[in-house]
Amino acid sequence: MKLFNNKSVYLLIPALLFLLLPLYGFFAAIVQSLSGGSGWTLEYYSSLFESSRFLSAIWFSIRTTLIATILSLIIGVLITRSFYPYLEHHVPRLLVWLPMLFPHFVWGYMIILLLSETGLAAQLLVEAGVITDSSAFPIWTRDPQGIGIIITYIWKEVPFVILMLLPVYSSIKPGYYDLVETLGGSKVRQFTAVEWPAIFPVLMEIALIVFSFTISAYEVPALMGTTFPEMISVLSYEWFYGSGWEDRPMAFAAMVSLSLLILAFSAAGFSILQKKRWRAMRGRSV
Amino acid sequence: MNHTLDVQHLSKQFNHDLILSDLAFQLEKGEILSIVGPSGSGKTTLLRILAGLETPSQGSIHMYGEEITFQKANQRDISLVFQQPLLFPHMTVQENIAYGAKLAGKKNKNKTSDLLKATGLDRFKNYFPSEISGGQQQRVALARAMATEPEIILFDEPFSSLDPKLRHQIRYWVRDFLVDQSITGVFVTHDTEEAMIMGDRLALFHEGSFQQIDEAEVIHKHPANSFVADFLGGHLIVDEQHYVPLKECSLEPFNEQEVRSYHGLLQHITFQNGQAVGHIFLKDLDHQVSLPIHEHVSGEEVTLYIKESSIRTFGGSAL
Repeated sequence: MKLFNNKSVYLLIPALLFLLLPLYGFFAAIVQSLSGGSGWTLEYYSSLFESSRFLSAIWFSIRTTLIATILSLIIGVLITRSFYPYLEHHVPRLLVWLPMLFPHFVWGYMIILLLSETGLAAQLLVEAGVITDSSAFPIWTRDPQGIGIIITYIWKEVPFVILMLLPVYSSIKPGYYDLVETLGGSKVRQFTAVEWPAIFPVLMEIALIVFSFTISAYEVPALMGTTFPEMISVLSYEWFYGSGWEDRPMAFAAMVSLSLLILAFSAAGFSILQKKRWRAMRGRSV
Repeated sequence: MNHTLDVQHLSKQFNHDLILSDLAFQLEKGEILSIVGPSGSGKTTLLRILAGLETPSQGSIHMYGEEITFQKANQRDISLVFQQPLLFPHMTVQENIAYGAKLAGKKNKNKTSDLLKATGLDRFKNYFPSEISGGQQQRVALARAMATEPEIILFDEPFSSLDPKLRHQIRYWVRDFLVDQSITGVFVTHDTEEAMIMGDRLALFHEGSFQQIDEAEVIHKHPANSFVADFLGGHLIVDEQHYVPLKECSLEPFNEQEVRSYHGLLQHITFQNGQAVGHIFLKDLDHQVSLPIHEHVSGEEVTLYIKESSIRTFGGSAL
């Protein structure tokens, strides 16, 4: 009976219920990816890791996602630290957060309207006489380098990075900057000793969220990407809804592999944040 | 002979407010000056200017004869200990101290361990700031300031966030530590008792300038003006020019001819150092005084007697 007297059990119930569906989905996917015609098999995984299409897709996904994530973080930090006193006012904050209100698909479409070879930017440059023909405009959407995907994600995620960092920057005591100065430190030291330790744990969490979302989301790479190389989500979708049923377990195997990759990244991230130093930073008992 | 610190005609204006007005003082090596004054009177601004965090509107600051008025804070051989310890939360006690030395380019392993021993924090060297008490944190902050080997340490009410008991202990500890290391210091506080414990000399700061700079005893015996006498306590201010030391006031009549008397109301009785102290409001002077008393009860009407011969003039001798 004691178990039920414990309040924390009741408090956990919503979280457990919430997790039930995704966990069921995940285990169902694992089962699907492991079941062959007669019992368990690793066949799909071995063919997955031999498939050059899968390998190039996963490489392209990791590379594109990492570039988008890291650039979003850098730009987000630069904007936040330059403008945070200003961003605490309503109107500037609303302007920064505006991109967050639109679905990714809409934002991707906007990037196409803006940056495709026949887009607004190209036409303006032709009008201005900077380029002679709109075909001289660089290919930034549906390009093999994933530039369009990266730009869309950066534009969408930078406001999220700012949203997360703003309270951190607001909570840094201005006295710390003076302190570093009186100890003989430069502006660089002010960043490394005062700001970086405060933002590092938050950046780590943002990086994990943005990375997990970007690498597995479908709509933007489907809209902005090419047929080869393609993002892992696009490839899985094709395998899942492809002409035959036989590729379906491959789609599950690919998604399970991706989930494991994200799990590994998250575990690594959280184990770093669990270190005594970073727990002390957050003022928790260590 | 050049002074360790020589401040001349220092003024600071924010918009149209004059915060500091034509300040001047000198410090010799190893001397500690306590600056005491009401909160919000601009003491912190003065320290920030000395530290190089702000520039003065007028005047000059020299250190050993060399002008440093417009030198940047990180170039000056001056450390500032803030009201809050401001320890880096992700660094251990030892790392915090070593970081001060590292920034000043004076990193030395022996020095860090010497400072840890001198501050009595050796046992806590691997603790994080969140694991030690407020007093210990302030000691680490002092050790970190010391690690930069400054010529002068400035203190901006460093004990004001500590509880009274801890404050008492750490005052003496810091004072002994500074004397022991013969460090020149400027100590800012709004607490007169603290100012007297910490400083060799006292500077009473009010309305942008020093009302009086001298040893505590001299200031007590010869306050320069009514502000000084009022702020330090211990005197009955008769008018803008005259005062009477409280120990020469009495609630019993004197057997002399030339005696003045004031009616007052005994508002409270408190106990200090084993002695009952009556807080009396004198309506005629619109002034409250605190006197040791016997056999009186709170709420009682009392009469305060002073001899005419006890009345003195500010900045001068007896009438």
